[in-house]
Amino acid sequence: MANQETQLLDEIITTSRRKMMTFGAASLAGLVMAAAAPEAKAATASYSDSDILNFALNLEYLEANFYYLAAFGTTIDKANAASIAAGGPSAGIPITGSVGTAGTVSGGSLVPFKTVTVGSYATETAIEEGKHVLFLQSALSTAAVAQPAINLGTSFQTLAAAANTVTPAGNIPASFSPYASDDTFLVGAYVFEDVGVTAYHGAASLLTMASNLSAAAGILGVEAYHAGLIRTTLNYLDPTGSAGLVGYTTSISNLRNALSQAGLLGVAAGATSYDANPDDYGIATFTTPKGLGAGGSATAARIVDANPANVVAFARNTTQVLNIVTGGGAVNGTAAVSPAMGVFFPAGMNAGPNGFK
Amino acid sequence: MAGAGAVAATAAVAGCSSNGSMMGGGGTVAPYTDADVLNFALNLEYLEAQFYLYAATGSGLASTDTAAPSGYTGKYTEGTVTVGEAAQVPGLTAAQQDILNEIAFEEQTHVQFLRSALGSAAVPMPDIDLSFFGPLAVAATITTAATGTGSFNPFSSFDYFLVGAFIFEDVGVTAYSGAAPLITPAGVTSGYLTAAAGILAVEAYHAGYVRTSLTGRAIAAGSASAYPYLAAANLVEALRATLTVGNSAAPSTDGSVETLLVLPTSVTSPSAIVAADPTHAVGFARTVNQVHHIVYGSPTVGVAKGGFFPNGTNSIFATTTA
Repeated sequence: MANQETQLLDEIITTSRRKMMTFGAASLAGLVMAAAAPEAKAATASYSDSDILNFALNLEYLEANFYYLAAFGTTIDKANAASIAAGGPSAGIPITGSVGTAGTVSGGSLVPFKTVTVGSYATETAIEEGKHVLFLQSALSTAAVAQPAINLGTSFQTLAAAANTVTPAGNIPASFSPYASDDTFLVGAYVFEDVGVTAYHGAASLLTMASNLSAAAGILGVEAYHAGLIRTTLNYLDPTGSAGLVGYTTSISNLRNALSQAGLLGVAAGATSYDANPDDYGIATFTTPKGLGAGGSATAARIVDANPANVVAFARNTTQVLNIVTGGGAVNGTAAVSPAMGVFFPAGMNAGPNGFK
Repeated sequence: MAGAGAVAATAAVAGCSSNGSMMGGGGTVAPYTDADVLNFALNLEYLEAQFYLYAATGSGLASTDTAAPSGYTGKYTEGTVTVGEAAQVPGLTAAQQDILNEIAFEEQTHVQFLRSALGSAAVPMPDIDLSFFGPLAVAATITTAATGTGSFNPFSSFDYFLVGAFIFEDVGVTAYSGAAPLITPAGVTSGYLTAAAGILAVEAYHAGYVRTSLTGRAIAAGSASAYPYLAAANLVEALRATLTVGNSAAPSTDGSVETLLVLPTSVTSPSAIVAADPTHAVGFARTVNQVHHIVYGSPTVGVAKGGFFPNGTNSIFATTTA
């Protein structure tokens, strides 16, 4: 690592600003390498960096299609006037790859945005997630996997129902659609963004090469910006919780927490055990566990999804992430299931023989 | 990063023959330890925590969070805060107060967390000048751009607070990205890099909050002229770009290390919440020199103090070398 970094450094100094950025991100990823997320497959896997980046690429296919459909009314493989005007590529984003055949995207539609605020955020995020797909494809070159089959329609109703079964129970309507309004779009986006942060944080810990680490680590920060954007906007729209949006985020975070805890494997399946070490929090206010300055504790918002004991963001391993995005498809009792299928990935992710699916 | 033999945070000596280059190609930098890198971050967290705590509560860090830790044998002594106009921001809604409380709590916790990780090697708080916002704003020409008369004061209203916070947050994100490469492999094993990555994400959440708020409030106001704080924030970005010039030939430009905020005019025009490379949407990093240029308010190489740190950071990197 040190030598790689030193060499990269020299390259940076003598070349471009662009490399400078890569350097910082690469080294940051080295930082992420020591992430605390348990490595479910580490004992036996002979995976490569490409397997890790392809795992991320599957997630980016999911996110990019969600935002493209919401903002532009089309999947990422089809450019239209709106996506091009917003800064997207003039041609569709490739969805084919060396592993798997390009899957279709079911569900999803243009959101009838009413506010410039939410519409412009959706537009920005769609463009950025599309760039992440292209960036990972470029980094992986011929090793890039094809887009898996993706469900962005009924998957949300499935998750909503599931969120209402964990403890404490959620209250998301069974008919929930993220494409119905500005508000529901934000709730749909909420499902993804904090997961993106924890996934990049956790997956990067498996990477070995600085050049690949840069891809994962650099995107980590952007996903956290996105997550901050979504949580901030929900906070503005529902400052007291009376509009119900805060409750939705709590429900979703509780579900993600439950699925994530189960993804650790070996954790008892009882719902009440999930709250012992939560790794996800909704945007409801909380009382600071310590006083502010020399004063007492205070009521605080929760824009940041982090461990309140040290305010360090969470990391998740691939099984935890798979269990979230498949709605529990990665775990059977205390055993891992592969390929994990369900919810957003009805046929599982596309991955090489040693990849994560 | 030749410090392969470095051990743990507090005692190791990591000989880094390439550091001079790493710091930006210019001067000579003494060998440093992982503790030095974490202490650099701690200096920034002291500043951020004091700013947010004053804004949220009217008071700063508890003395137990600023004094030299038990067993500290380093050369730095505990500094003081020049309060200036720092005070609890008036006129906050309950929701706004909750936000300030949150960020204050989180930055305070970062101070405590880094001090805990560093143990007796943690540097005490340096002198911090919270009255520097005025001169900084003048340098950025914010007072003439914004509606208000008199000097810029981030403690005078929620919107001015957002501009003040804006000064720090993107810098925090990039500083953690830039400082991380200085941590040795042994430090990686020890988990220091893990912590820094997690804190980086938190800083990006904060930056996302500040940028979203400025953008959203500008949209709500209806025009750039009706909400001058968006333009003020972009003036901060422009100032940062000129401050980080160092020995390089020209100021960094929009898209190279900064992303200017925009005022979307329709549901189909993109906002610019994320500060990232416009080609790949990958986040930026800054070197310790670039960060010091910003917090000192000086583009000059060889400067060891100034701005928010009137007697310099309590850091081996305190003097800019590039």
